[in-house]
Parts: sequence; C-alpha cells; structure tokens
Amino acid sequence: MAKYDAVVVGAGNAGLAAALHMQQAGKKTLLIEQHNLPGGCASSFVRGRFEFEPSLHELCDVGPLDNPGDVRQLMELYGVDVDWIMVPDCFRCVSTWSDGTPMDIVMPAGRDEFINAVDKYVPGTKQKMVELFELFDEILAGIGYISASNGHADSNVLKSDYPNLLRTGAYPTVKVLKAMKIPQKAIDILSVYWAYLGVDMEHLSFIHYAAMVHKYVTRGAAIPHHTSHEISVKMVERFREMGGECWFNCRAEEFLFDGDKLCGVKTNLGTIQTGHVIANINPDIIYGKMMPKELIPEREKKLSTARGGNVGGRMFTAYFGLDCTAEELGLKDYNTFLFGTSDSHTEYVNMCGSQETNHYGILLCYNLINPDCSPEGTCMCSLTTFGATPTWENVTQEKYVAYKEKEVRRMLNDVKTKMGIDFEGHIEECVTASPWTFARYLNAPQGGVYGYETRDWDGMMARLMMLNDDYPIKGLRPTGAAGPRGDGYSAAYICGQLMAKLTLKDMAEEGGAQ
Amino acid sequence: MAVNVKVGPIGALDMLKFKNMAKVREQAIQAAPANEITGDFSVNKLAKELHPDFLDLKIAEIIEHKDAKTFVFESAGQHKIPYFRAGQYLSLKLPIEGSFVTRPYSISSGPSWTKEGKIAITVKSNPSGFAAEWMLKNFKVGDAVIASAPEGQFFYENLRDSKNVVALAGGSGITPFLSMAYALRDGDEDFNLTILFGSKTEADILFKKELDDIAAACSKVKVVHVLSDEEKEGYEHGFITADLIKKYAADDTSIFVCGPEAMYRFVKGEIEKLGLPRRFVRSEMLGVTKKVWEQPGFPAEAKDAKVKLTVKVGENTYDIEAACNEPMLVAIERAGIKAPSRCRSGECGWCRSKLVSGDIYVPEENEFRRYTDKEFGYVHPCCTFAISDAVIEVPGEFF
Repeated sequence: MAKYDAVVVGAGNAGLAAALHMQQAGKKTLLIEQHNLPGGCASSFVRGRFEFEPSLHELCDVGPLDNPGDVRQLMELYGVDVDWIMVPDCFRCVSTWSDGTPMDIVMPAGRDEFINAVDKYVPGTKQKMVELFELFDEILAGIGYISASNGHADSNVLKSDYPNLLRTGAYPTVKVLKAMKIPQKAIDILSVYWAYLGVDMEHLSFIHYAAMVHKYVTRGAAIPHHTSHEISVKMVERFREMGGECWFNCRAEEFLFDGDKLCGVKTNLGTIQTGHVIANINPDIIYGKMMPKELIPEREKKLSTARGGNVGGRMFTAYFGLDCTAEELGLKDYNTFLFGTSDSHTEYVNMCGSQETNHYGILLCYNLINPDCSPEGTCMCSLTTFGATPTWENVTQEKYVAYKEKEVRRMLNDVKTKMGIDFEGHIEECVTASPWTFARYLNAPQGGVYGYETRDWDGMMARLMMLNDDYPIKGLRPTGAAGPRGDGYSAAYICGQLMAKLTLKDMAEEGGAQ
Repeated sequence: MAVNVKVGPIGALDMLKFKNMAKVREQAIQAAPANEITGDFSVNKLAKELHPDFLDLKIAEIIEHKDAKTFVFESAGQHKIPYFRAGQYLSLKLPIEGSFVTRPYSISSGPSWTKEGKIAITVKSNPSGFAAEWMLKNFKVGDAVIASAPEGQFFYENLRDSKNVVALAGGSGITPFLSMAYALRDGDEDFNLTILFGSKTEADILFKKELDDIAAACSKVKVVHVLSDEEKEGYEHGFITADLIKKYAADDTSIFVCGPEAMYRFVKGEIEKLGLPRRFVRSEMLGVTKKVWEQPGFPAEAKDAKVKLTVKVGENTYDIEAACNEPMLVAIERAGIKAPSRCRSGECGWCRSKLVSGDIYVPEENEFRRYTDKEFGYVHPCCTFAISDAVIEVPGEFF
C-alpha cells in the first residue's frame, strides 16, 4: 500500500499551494485530483483554434517585480515561474449613477491614477480618496498581523498599531464609506468591485473589501500569459521537481480513521496510508459524503446548518472565439462591468432573483492585454454573470440548453445596446459554463465557486479569528474557497499555504508528544 | 495616521464590536440546530445525472442492417441514461481478449429516446476493424456494456451556427445526422438540415427508410442520396463535390462533416474550394489516421520500428512494447492497462498524460493540446506516437 507523510486531495488553487508547501518542507507528499487536469477553475480548454480561460478575470496581489504582492511572493517562494501580464486598467463600468444618469467610466490601475480618476469623475474627492487608501494600508497591515498570529492576535498590539482596523472591522463596507463622508457618486465607483467578492457592499465586511481593493488597485492585477492552466501546470511541475507525486483521475472516496485520527484515504486507484490530509474540498461534501458520521462534532453540524448551504452568486460564463479582431469590433477595454444599477445591493438581489431581473454582466476581451492569445485576425471574449440562485435548481436536462442560451442572448444584447458592440456574424466558437459545469468539474456545492458567502457574522476576519475552532478533525484540514480567506485565486493560494503550515504544526506537535 | 475613522454614533464601542466578532459568530453557530450533514446539493445531483463517470448499460435490442447493426441500450441499473445533444457520441469500454479498448460511436438514436431510457449506436462492419468486428460477432441481447456518458462538441449551436445546415455524410458517418434528424422531428432541436449522404448504391444506403420517413414527417429535414457506383432517377450521382454542396447550400449555411477517413479527406478539399470562413465548417473525426507514416514530418525510419514504454498508473508500473506506427494508447490498451480515453482523435483530452521522457510524433490534424501542456510534455496518447523508448504517467479511470 502506498504510504505518504501527507496527501493533498484536490489540485485546485489551494491544494496546489498546500502540496508545494508540504513537499518543500521535506514531507513526502502525494497530490491527488479527481479530474485529469490540475487547477480546478484555474485551467483552460481548447475548442477549434482557441484555448479559452475558464474563470480568471484578473489575479490581484501579483504586483510588479519591485513591489511584489502575496501571490508573486508565494510563487517565488516555491520557485514557480509564471509569465505574468500586468493589467493596465482596473475596469470600465457601464452602468447608471445613483442619481439616475448614465455611467461610463474607465478606472486605471495604480493608487495615484485611481485616486485622480475618481477626482476627475467626482471633482473635489481627492482628499477623501487619499484618506481611504491610507485606511486600506492600515487594514491590510493589520490583517497581515492577525493572519501571522494564527488566531492568537494580541489585542494591545491591535489597539496601538491598527486602531482603525478595530474601529471599522465589524462594519459592512457601505456603512464605513458613508461614515467617512465619501460622496455618493464616488461610492458608486468604489462599489464596482463588489462583483469580485461575491456579496454586496451592504453585507460585505469592510476589512475584506479594503484588503481586496487595495490589492487590485495599488499593486495591480495580472493574468498569466497562457491562461490560468499555465499557473496550475507550472505548480504541478514544480511540485514534481521537488519530488512530489501527482495522480490524476484519482478520486478520494472516503477518509479512513483509526479511532478519531485520520489514517488513510480510499480512492479509485487504491487505498493510501497517511496521517495527514489537506482537503481542497468543501467541508459539507467531506462531512456528508466522505467520512464516518459519528466522528462529526455537533458544532460542525451547527456551523453547516447556520450557513444553510448559502453559496451566493454562481458563475455563468459564455466564451467566444471570434473571427475578427478586437479593433474591428470596436472594443478598447479588457474588462467592462455592465450593471443595471450602481447600487450593489439592488444589483445583487436582482442577480439572485431570476433571468428576468438579472442585468449583470462582465465582458472581457483577452487580446487587448494579451495580443497573441488567439490566432491572427481573431479574438477571444467572454461574458460572465452570476447564475441566479433559486432558478438553477429548477432547470431540467431537456430545458438546460435553452435556459443557457437565453442568459447568453441577454448579455449579448446588453453588450450591443449599451456598448454598441455586436458579435453577430463573427462567432466561430461559443461555449457556455454554468453552475452545472462548475459542479461537474469542481464538485463545489451548487456549482458555486465562492465557497460560502463571507457576509455578516461569517466574514473573513471572524473566520480567521476562529481558525482553531472550525473543522477540528484530527489529521484532516479542509482548505479552498470555503476556508477562512474566502473566495478568489489569491485567497485560495494563501489559504492552501495556511493549511499546510497548520498541518506542519500538527505534525510537529505529534512528534513532540511521541 | 491622517484619518481617524468613526462609524456611527457609538464609535467608542467599535473596538468592542471588533473583539466580539468571534463571539457573534459563535453565537450564530450555536443558535443553529445540529442537522445531519448530507452533502447533497441539487445542482451537483443534476450535474452528476447529466455527466456520470460512466454508464452501465445492457443491450435491449439489436437491429440488423446490411453490413451493420444498431445496438439499442438501456440502463443496467446504476445510472439513468442522460439526455444529450444530437451529434454527440458514446465511448464504449470493451474488454476484448484481456485488453481494455475504448471506441467512440456517434449516437444514432434521438435525444428523446432517453425519456424511454434508451440510447443507440450503430456499428458498421469493417474487416480491418478489431473492435467493430468483435462487437458485431459477440454482442447479444442482455449483454452488459460499459460506456462513457454522451460526449463531444459535434452538435448544433444556435448562438454560432447558421439556421441552415448542410450535412455531408459517408457510410456510418450518417449516425450523428440521423440523431439530429430525430431531434428536429421530435422538437429537441430547431434548424434546417439538408443531409448529402454518400453511399455506393441504393441498396447500400444505411437507414434509408428511417431517413425517408423523417423527411416526410418533418419539413426541417431534407435528405439527398449521392450514389458513387450507381446512376438512378431521384439520386445524385458521383461524389460530394463543391458543386454539389453549392447546389443545396443557401447563402448562409453551416457545413457539418462526418464520415470515413478517405471521404473526410476528399470532402475537406471540396469545402476548401468554397472559400467559406472557418466558422461555417465543423467536422467530427472520432479516430486518428490509420497511416501515420504518410503524415508530414513522421520519421521514415520509425514506420516499422518498435519501442519500449514504461507506463505508470498510480503506484503501479508496467513495461510494455509499442510499435512506432500505432498511437501509444493502443499499446497501453493491448497490455490490459485500464487507461482513460474517449474521442481517440486528440480533441477531448480525456487521455491527457504526462510524458516523463521519450520522443513523440503528433499529427498536426490531431494537435489539440493546451499551450502549456505542450511546453511541459503532456500528451494525448490516443493520437501520440512514441518514436523512441518512453516513460509515461497515465491517469486512472472510474469504471
């Protein structure tokens, strides 16, 4: 029987980072993945002469060489050499200002550039913006301190060094921005980013928001040159190079226990002996399908019930390979948000309502920052919305195709009427990925890629503070989007690393006890 | 710090509020009932029903044709047969003489048959076809058969394709179009389909009655028989040429092609003469060329050479022999190793494996690998030829 110090189950972003960390620490590590590809969402697929990016819009916290963000640092730590392309603008947003007038803005990346652009659209807000970004700095530093303390932050240090983190930390984003007396129009601009965090500004913790926006704007976001499959393959290859083993099409069916301590994993390729598993799997799937019921503590059942399976918005994307260039289409911006309203709460409620109420869309054209990503004379675009929550459950197999098409046509029509861009007569390849698709490949609950909504009581900071209380199964550490850091590529990498660190700590404590 | 933020009128208590975040969260958790965790989610259940790991089928009926048989399957229990897009295929997993062999076959039944729990493929006799002859000889009603779920991208896409489709079919290549014809008749699809179907003589036409009946019942389906070896009233004579396509294609027409390798190569040349943008032409290959040594760039000395393959699956390692002129997958299957594969033409990527060492050849028409996969030696063994000794890590399978 195969025997390893640690088995990482699931080669998604968190699993890849965890595997690299364990192997680099000298532990004999096996990485298993149920699909025949690494990365989960961070992958690619080929149709005809196009290779499509399935999920990544932009990866925050890469940052330039001279000011590396967490992700660049993490990749450097493990020796993973990704060919990054920096994204020059934060976004274009075509929406409606809260005063009812039409909005069409382009926001550049870079702190000063972003602040100046807000001041251009909303004159007189510069000072407020400078203050806001200083607040972001403090909060980011405070989160760094709390993360590093593994759930044991010293409140005196917090009080003296990060007072504003404490003052704002328990509030939702909109409340803090309003308390700072930032004009509504500037809040409209600042509200665009909610889309990446999977919950609206009235329920999103300000800390979470501050950390993410700071990372997107200040350090600048990036994409890999050859889709996110590039990142995932390079992580796997580096892991192999360090001596790690990786089995694809290998599904963990059951976690095996000796008493209350994990001792192995049963898979379709045989049983693997190990005392430590880092599982890039949603905890509800682990508890519901993969381990003995009697070992699940009461508190875990309560946590699951309290969350109520609320995975929030779910990705729905249509990918297009077009037989014309971006210039011929009239497209100038890589990333355009198309909203019905700049009020994020209304937008979120509408999005989660039905196909009729949803007006949300994100248009990407990859060639505008990555010119050689498709053959000459062609371009690749995608349109993303978030699958309306209640309705996806009621789609039948027979109605599925028509249901998807309706959603895509709605977005194509928005692009046509709001931006004057028409794909018709140029579509050479067209593929859609719905929550069903993500459920198929990721086995994420309800096909959601955002873990559980990081809202209200279950925000990122509260989860980080309770790191030692959640998931207390000996030898089994879940990671991924449902983890303390929440959703997104960068959060997943960091969360994978975090769970590897905690596993190493578990191992050291066991060693000490023996 | 330039800014001193106060939120709401009770700013002094903010710190307490921060500190209480963990307490608030714990209260929310403790207030919830300790319901059993099932791990059941409706969307995941639907995804699994639509895309099961495999289908365990049994043969419900065998329909005889001249030189071919249609095998109608029903579920043997575990998996319900899912709905599919007309034009998709099943990859059969066949245990033949100690080998595990997969073969992709376009589904020849209509999507609506799945409502009655049925799905069918049609196998044409091919004396040089190892698996086809085995199935025609051995399959009998009641036999258990393992297959993939419906797979493939060869179907009508309303957002992409023209409302008018001209299908070019040869021999058993009619099957995906028969399925589309059923789908149009039964209301599962909505477009106009004109099938140009090449056969040798009238007597050789596969599914003639079925096609004629559907065309009579459904105005969206039209069938034109093209006979190469017979001149007869009411039939086109010769091959499927550019002129013939032009005769039946409206200005705005998508062309779909499915047929044997020789027909496919001929028709491809004819389509090129039409000068259509690529978005109007789609084809289904389901297989790799039988004569790889005729492909540009294949090393002449490798034609009759043999090499040693070291194949790793999980913790097991196998040393096997392979001919340079056969895809690596064929050698792996012959050795009895259960390796994943579906389309066998490089397109689906299900067989994606890590080439640890060795030199390979991939025909250009089967090159569908991802950019980074090529860079790091990942291959699709179904259409990859080892031209030196090689070591390869192959993923597992689920059936």
